[in-house]
Amino acid sequence: MTADATPTREGADASPSSHRLLPIATARATLALVLTELRAVRGMALVALLVSLAANTCALVAPWVLGLLVDAVRQGTDTTHAAWTAVVIAAAALLGGALTALAFTLLARTGETVLARLRERVVQRALRLPAPLLARLSAGDLLSRVGDDVAVVAETLREKAPMLISSLFTAVLTMGGLFALDWRLGLAGLCSLPVYAGALRWYLPRSAPMYAEERAAMGERAQALVGSLHGVETVHAYRLHRHRLELVNERSAAAMGITNRVFRLFCRFGSGMNAAECVGLAAIMTVGFFLVDADVVTVGATTTAALYFHRLFGPLGAIMTSFNDVQSAGTSLARMAGVAAIPDPGPPPVARRPADSGVEIRAVGHRYDDGPIVLEDVTLRIAPGERVALVGGSGAGKTTLASIVAGLITPARGEVLLGGVPVEEVHPDLLRRHLALVSQDTHVFAGTLADNVRLAVPGASDEQVVAALAAVGAHDWATTLPAGIHTEVGENGLRLTAHQGQHLALARLVLADPAVVVLDEAGAEAGSAGARILEHAAVAATEGRTALVVAHRLQQAVGADRIVVLEQGRVAETGTHTELVARGGRYAALWAAWHDGERAEDAGQVSQQAPA
Amino acid sequence: MRDPNKPSGGGRLLTRALVRNRGRLAAGVVGTSLHQVAEALVPVAIGLIIDRAVATGDGRALAISVAGLALQFTVLTLSWRYGARSLVAAIQLEAHRLRVEAAERMMDARRQDTGMRAGELLGIATSDADRMARLLHFVPAALAGLAGLAVAATTLLRIDTVLGLGVLVGVPLLVVLTQLLGPTLTRRAASQQAAAAETTALASDLIRGLPVLRGIGAEEHAADGYRRSSGAALRAALGAAAPSGAYFGVTTAGGGLLLAAVAAFAGWAALEGRISVGELITVVGLAQFITEPVRELGLCGHGIAVCRASAHRLATVLDAPFRLTPGDLDGGDATRIELHGIRHGSLRGLDMTVHAGEFLGVVAHDPADTRALLALLAGRVPRQDYEGRITVGGVEVERLRLDAARRTILVEPHDVDLFEGTLRSNILLESPDGAEDGDTEAVLLTALRATAADEVARAHPDGVDRRITDRGTTLSGGQRQRLALARAIAARPPVLVLDEPTTAVDAVTEETIAHGLRQARHGATAPAGQATVVVTNSPALLAHADRVLVLADGVVAAEGTHAELVATDDAYRKAVLR
Repeated sequence: MTADATPTREGADASPSSHRLLPIATARATLALVLTELRAVRGMALVALLVSLAANTCALVAPWVLGLLVDAVRQGTDTTHAAWTAVVIAAAALLGGALTALAFTLLARTGETVLARLRERVVQRALRLPAPLLARLSAGDLLSRVGDDVAVVAETLREKAPMLISSLFTAVLTMGGLFALDWRLGLAGLCSLPVYAGALRWYLPRSAPMYAEERAAMGERAQALVGSLHGVETVHAYRLHRHRLELVNERSAAAMGITNRVFRLFCRFGSGMNAAECVGLAAIMTVGFFLVDADVVTVGATTTAALYFHRLFGPLGAIMTSFNDVQSAGTSLARMAGVAAIPDPGPPPVARRPADSGVEIRAVGHRYDDGPIVLEDVTLRIAPGERVALVGGSGAGKTTLASIVAGLITPARGEVLLGGVPVEEVHPDLLRRHLALVSQDTHVFAGTLADNVRLAVPGASDEQVVAALAAVGAHDWATTLPAGIHTEVGENGLRLTAHQGQHLALARLVLADPAVVVLDEAGAEAGSAGARILEHAAVAATEGRTALVVAHRLQQAVGADRIVVLEQGRVAETGTHTELVARGGRYAALWAAWHDGERAEDAGQVSQQAPA
Repeated sequence: MRDPNKPSGGGRLLTRALVRNRGRLAAGVVGTSLHQVAEALVPVAIGLIIDRAVATGDGRALAISVAGLALQFTVLTLSWRYGARSLVAAIQLEAHRLRVEAAERMMDARRQDTGMRAGELLGIATSDADRMARLLHFVPAALAGLAGLAVAATTLLRIDTVLGLGVLVGVPLLVVLTQLLGPTLTRRAASQQAAAAETTALASDLIRGLPVLRGIGAEEHAADGYRRSSGAALRAALGAAAPSGAYFGVTTAGGGLLLAAVAAFAGWAALEGRISVGELITVVGLAQFITEPVRELGLCGHGIAVCRASAHRLATVLDAPFRLTPGDLDGGDATRIELHGIRHGSLRGLDMTVHAGEFLGVVAHDPADTRALLALLAGRVPRQDYEGRITVGGVEVERLRLDAARRTILVEPHDVDLFEGTLRSNILLESPDGAEDGDTEAVLLTALRATAADEVARAHPDGVDRRITDRGTTLSGGQRQRLALARAIAARPPVLVLDEPTTAVDAVTEETIAHGLRQARHGATAPAGQATVVVTNSPALLAHADRVLVLADGVVAAEGTHAELVATDDAYRKAVLR
C-alpha cells in the first residue's frame, strides 16, 4: 500500500497503554493550593469571615432579649420593657442586615477571586504541559478538568460556600449561646448531634455511588442527544428518527429513574434530620423543665434556649445537605490541583539559539513503553531550505519521526539538533518560532476566521491575514463567507469543511513564518476537487523553509528535494524521485503500485502526469 | 402522532405542565403544605410546652408534651417525604417529556427552521427542559408557603386580632419590598453566568485545539486570551456580588424588623396581661418562622421567572415552522430521476436524468454546483426555493411522502457522522426488521468487503462488535469514510447518492472501493434497477461509472464515459487526473 490516510498517530496502535490519566492531587496538596490562592486575597478573606461572624452574632440578640421579655412578663414589669425589646431587636436587625450584606458581598468576592486564580492557574498549566507528556494523555481527561471540574468548583464556591460559612457560624454561635445560658441546656442541645451524625453515616456511603450512577446516566443521555443532533443529516438520510428518538427516550427515562431513586434515599435522610431536631428540642424542654423546677434557670432562659435551637434547624439542614456538593467539589478541586501540580521543567539551564534552519537527526531510535520498536537508528541531515519527504507504509514510523523532530516526543535513543543545537536545549519560546508543526489534528477555534489565522501572531493586521490566506490560495473561499474573514467559525459559528480546516492550518503557518516546518498529513484529503489546491497550498506554505513532509500520498513526495523511505522504523532508501525510481528498490515498487492504480483508471489514455 | 392541542408560546407550555401533572402535583401540594403547617406549629408547640409544662412544673404535662412533639415531627417528616417525592417524580417526568418532545421536533423529517446550532439545541433539550420543569417545584412550594402562612396567621389572629392583621399586612409588604431588588439581581446574575460559561467554553476549545496551538507555538497567546476572558468573567462576578449581598442583607433586616414590631406588640399585650407567656412565645416564634415561607415565596417568584424564560426557549423550538411540506404519495418502484430546468444556488437551468440501474458519475468544475445538486437530491430544499421540476419515477418529488422520498433516494452526507454503538450497529442502521439473522450478517459482510472497511473491523480484537465512542472521533477520517460508505451500501437504497466518498483514503484503497461499490450496487447479485450517483473527481470511481456528467456554470457541460471525456475534454482531464 502506497500510503495511509490514518490520522491516528502511528505509534498509538502500537502502544495501547500510552494513554495515561493525569495525576489527582492528595487532600493535603489540594488544600495547599487553595491556601496559596487564598493568601493572595487574605486581607479580604479575613475581613469577610469577621464580618460574617459579626452578622451571625447579631442574629443571637433577638432570642436573647425575647427570653428577657418572658421573664419580665412573669415578673410583671411595666410595658416600656416591650418597647425596649423591640428597639434592641430592630437595631440588631438593621446592623445584622448591613453586616450580612457586607459579609455576603465580601465572601462572594473572595470566592470569585480565588476561583478565577485557580482556573487561570490550571488552564495555564494545561496549555504549557510538556509536549511529551501531553502526547500520552487522554484528551478527554484534560478537557474535563478545565471544563466540568472548574464548573463544579465554581458552582459550589458561588452558590454554596457563602451560605455554608454563614450556617457554620450560626451553628457554632448558637450552640455557644445555649451553653452561655446554662451548660446543661447546652448539653441538651448537643443531644441532637449523635442523631445528625447517624443520619449522615447512613446516608453518605449509600448516596455517593447513586450520585455517580446518576451522573453517568445523565452523560449517556447527553450522548444520545448530542449524537442525534450533530448527526441530524444522517438521521434524515437514513430515516432514523424513530430509532434515535427511542434511544433518547430510553436514556432520558433511565436517568429519570435513578434521580427518583436517589431522591427517595434523600427523603429518608431528611427524616433522620427531623428526628435529630425533635430529639434536641424535646431534650431542651425536658432539661429546662427540671432546671426551672429546681430554680436554676428562669422560664425566660428556657424560652431563649428553645428559640435558639429552633433557629438552628435551617442552618444545620443546609450543612447536612451540602455534604454531597462539598464532596464532589473537593474531588473536582483535587483533579484541578493535579494538573496545577505537574512540575514545570522551565527553560533549560542553557537556552541556546539554533545557528541556522538545518535539522540533524542523529541515530534516533524509539519505542512506546514496552511496545515494539517503532524507529531504529535513523540518521538524517536536512540542509537549510531543503524539502525532504518521508515515505513509507502504515506503521513505518513516519509520524513518530516527525513528532520527534518537532519535539513532541522525546526519543528513547539518539537526538535531534536544530541548527546545531539539541532540540531540548533550544529555549521553548524560541523553539516554536523556529519550528512549526502542522499535524493531522485540524482544529478550528471559536472566533473569527481572521483570529484563527493570527493564532501565533495576535498582533497581525487584517492585511497580513488576507496575505497569508492568499499565499495558500484560501482567500477565494474566505471572501465568500458571510462576513469574509470576520465570519465567526468554530464551535458556535460556521462549520468549516475538513478542506478549509487544512487550508486554515497552512495559512496560520505562513503568518507564523517559522524557519523549519514539519508537515504531517497536510493535503491528505485528496481525490476531491480541492485536493490539488491543498497540495499547492502545502508547497506554497513550505516555500523558502526547511521542510520535513510526511507524505501520506506519493504525490506529496514527487516534488521533494529528497525522499526518505522508511521501512519498519529504518531508513530503507534516500534520493530524489527520479533516482529512486531508477534504482528499482522499495520506492520504485511503491511508485509502480500507485501508478498502476492510476493507469487502470485512466484506461491507458494518459501517460505520466507532471507532478503538481 | 401530533398533539392536537399543540402548546404554543412559553405560557401555554407552563399551563400544560401544570395540567398534565395534576395528580402528582395535587399529592405534592397536600404533602408539602401539611409539612409547612407542621413546621408552623413548632413555635406554637414550644409556646404551649413552656406555658403548660415548664412554667407550671406539671410532670404529666411534660410527658404529654414530649409525646405530642414526637407525633408532630412524625407528621412533619412523613408529609414531606411523600409530598416531595411525588413532586420530584412529577418534575422528572415533565423534564423527560419536554426533552423527548424537543428532540422529536429537532429531528423531524420536515426539517425545522430554528436557525440554531446543535450546541444551542442541546442546551434547550437538556438545561431548559430541566429548568422549565422546576415550575412543578416552585408552584407547590409557593402554595405550601402560603398554607404555612395561613396557619400562622390564623393562630396569630386567634391570639390577638391586631397582631394577626399586622403580620398579614407586614409579611406581603416585606415580600414586595425584597422583590424590588429582584430584577437587578437576576440581570447581574445572568450576565455573570454568561461570562463564566464563555470562559469555560474557551478553556475547552483551547484544550481541544492544544495540538494545533503547540504545533504553531501559540500556547502563550492562547493563555493570554484565556486570562483576559477569565478576568472579564471575574469582573462580572465581582459586579454581581454586591447586589446579591444587598438582597440577603435586606431580607435579613426585613425579617428582623418584622420580628421587632411583633415583639413590641405582643410584649406589650403580655405585660398588660392580655396574652399568656406561652402565647407570647408562640407569637414571636411564629414571627420568626414566617420569614422562612416569606423568603421561599420570594425565591418562587424568581424561580418562576427563570422557568418562563426556559419555557419561552423551548417554545421557540416546539413552535418553529417546518421547512418542508411533505406530499402523500407512496411512490412506485420506478427509480428514474429527472431534473428539468433546475435553478437553485449556482444551478442555471440544469437538466439531467438518472436512469434506473445506472452508475452515474458527476464532476463539477465549481463545487457550488454539486452542493446545490446534492441539497436538492437530499430533499433539503423547500419547493419555493428552487425553480424547475424534480421527478422520481415520473412523480414530482414534492408529492411523495418524505419517508418514501428518502427511502428511494439516499444521500450519504460527506461529513461523516457516526453514532455511538458498535461498527455493526453503525453499518446496519436500518436493518430490515423482519430480516433473518444470517441475511443481515451477509449484508454486513458484503458491505464491509465492498468498501475495504473489513480492515477497520480486523484492526481490532472485537471485529465488527468494536465499540464506537464519542461519535466515532477516535477513528481516522479514512476509517470513518469507509464505514459511512459501508452503511450506505448495506442500506441498499434504490438510488444511492455519494458525495466525494473517497477523499480520505489512499489510491489503492480507492480502487478497491470503486470496484467493490460497482459490484455491490450493479454486480450480478445486486438487485436490478439500483442506481448510483457519485459526485467525485476521483478517476478510480469515474472509470467504473457507466456515464459521467460534467457540470459547469450550473448546467451539464459535457457527457460521456470517463475514457471518452479523458480523451476529448481538456478541462475534464485537468479536473480528474492528478
